[in-house]
Amino acid sequence: MTAIAQGTLGHWFTRNGFLLIVIALFLFFSIVTQHFASVANVLAMAHTMAPLVIIASGLALVVFTGKLDISVGSIAFLSSAIAVLLMHDAGVNAPLAFLAALVTGALLGALNGFVVVFLGINPLIATLGSMIALRGVALQLTNAILIALPESVRGLGNATIGGVFVDVIIAAVILIVVHVLHRRTVFGRRLDAIGNGEDNAIRIGIPVPQTVFLSFVASGFLASVGGLIGLLQVGAISSYLGKGMEFTAVAAIVVGGVSLFGGRGTILPGVLLGAFAFTMIANGLNQMSADPYAYKLVTGGLIFIAMYVDALRTRRLRRIPIRPPAQAAS
Amino acid sequence: MRTLTIAALAGLAALAAQSAAAKDFVIGLSWNAMDNQLPVKWQEYMQSEGKTQGEAAGVNFKWVINVADANPSRQASNIEDLINQNVNLIIARAEDASAVAASIRAAKAANIPFITFDRQSKTTKPTVHVGGDSYDQAKTTAEAFVALLKEKGVQGKCIELQGSLTDINAVNRSKAWHEVTDKSGVVQTLESVPTEWNPDLFRSGTVNAFRAHPDANCMFLASDFALPAVQSALESVGKWAKRGDSNHVWIASQDVFPEAVKAMQDGYVDDGTSYDAYAHAKEAIRQAVLIAKGEKPDCPDGNCLVKGRLVTQENVNTIQNLWSRPDK
Repeated sequence: MTAIAQGTLGHWFTRNGFLLIVIALFLFFSIVTQHFASVANVLAMAHTMAPLVIIASGLALVVFTGKLDISVGSIAFLSSAIAVLLMHDAGVNAPLAFLAALVTGALLGALNGFVVVFLGINPLIATLGSMIALRGVALQLTNAILIALPESVRGLGNATIGGVFVDVIIAAVILIVVHVLHRRTVFGRRLDAIGNGEDNAIRIGIPVPQTVFLSFVASGFLASVGGLIGLLQVGAISSYLGKGMEFTAVAAIVVGGVSLFGGRGTILPGVLLGAFAFTMIANGLNQMSADPYAYKLVTGGLIFIAMYVDALRTRRLRRIPIRPPAQAAS
Repeated sequence: MRTLTIAALAGLAALAAQSAAAKDFVIGLSWNAMDNQLPVKWQEYMQSEGKTQGEAAGVNFKWVINVADANPSRQASNIEDLINQNVNLIIARAEDASAVAASIRAAKAANIPFITFDRQSKTTKPTVHVGGDSYDQAKTTAEAFVALLKEKGVQGKCIELQGSLTDINAVNRSKAWHEVTDKSGVVQTLESVPTEWNPDLFRSGTVNAFRAHPDANCMFLASDFALPAVQSALESVGKWAKRGDSNHVWIASQDVFPEAVKAMQDGYVDDGTSYDAYAHAKEAIRQAVLIAKGEKPDCPDGNCLVKGRLVTQENVNTIQNLWSRPDK
């Protein structure tokens, strides 16, 4: 196959095709359901996707370096579990418990970073290990049962300012901060440089180990923020918190145009669009009373298309045969 | 000669004492998941009943327990491990009503009796099944709910939150709910939302359904273990209100977990049918004792189904032995 030439329809589609798909899906659901396009429903979608966009934006920082962190769902679960247990069993006040959860998230991210950077273990394997182990610890701590939040904090998940959910505002602020961090700071440029070629990055004097380590810390920290927001939304912790979130976050990132090969993609609008696409599909199919299994089929198809477009782009840019993502992630 | 006789008698006495002592009987307990209070309570009650009933019957129950984290493949491999450990009996709560059939067949091939607990196999008969009667449970709730709405003069437009569709209890509950309500002329189900027993989907599914059907005024919950998530969702759409309030959403639920007891006492949940964890565990151990003694299990057609009891706002404080009420 030849690479797609600039200026052609194929080239344009690989750059903007996903946005078109999102718009088309939005129009489709707006036409076939009565209340999909209402302001209230759009706000409800933003509310639902808040934990996902926060976790995905943190994970994207790792993915920009060409690495992967599949423990974000377990970090979200464990850090939230610690907050709940501190409040429930130890009577710690909510702000302190939430702070403990955030510190836990950052520390767990640092642990991942240490294992990947300083022990030199493949990030997929390292974070697979922590994904399993951390979930195990959280299950043991919570006895795997559903624990409702204390009444004093239970309503926070639905708090609004001017009709907009507070967690949507928090998610928007975080997205902007992470976007600026990625696009406007030395740290962000280093992430892309490492993703575009670690050897070259080392040669030009970029502190690769420190930068990658920090990206894991940020990913862990934001996973705990997303976990807490998810926890407050549901009003209770259960063993389902964060379960499968790592894969949904990776999917949102990839669908949003961030390359699993590293060095390419954006937080805004990329990750936001990716997360919105998945939330919109779930919401739209739900409103259509579609077959419950249709969601998996549609989202699977969307991921496949996004991966294919990513592979096409990578070939065009690098002019090399497509490599399997597992290699790229190592 | 006298010494020899005494020694022989002493030896015989020792042998007799040994045979009279309780015999060890190992139960391999395979949980699909420990994701809410029910499995925790079941396990607690099984072990305490094992001690009580076991002592009375001269059986010393020992336990090997594993959990599959809601993964049917892992559960199959966990049960395989129990078979390889040559346990005397397997009790399993299946994650998948179809997939457990292979494990039942494997246990049978190894001559290990098998009790399916709480969730029946769709295709293969175990030695015996012990659980709640989930069909009757939902039927009882739905009939009482229809009567309640009729009495209050309410035309119900309901959102149904289904459980995991691989769980036979979730399927039975949905079936019974529709059989009673679809022809009732009082309750209409506007939308059925699958939750996979995931509290996050309980929340987002409820929000989405109420956005799609703003005229909905009632709900059927396939289980109320995730009631906090439903409460959060209803609060976000301004519909978490007590009976008597114009925004009240009429709620029929299943299981009557501690959260539902409180919500019923406070006037938010209208009725539900209990899932009696203690009775299930007690029955399972009764069958285990029979098997340990080499006797046949005595469930009709191989099914020991324990019926739940209807709990309403009116009787929630007075109904006896409700495991989930704080005074228990």
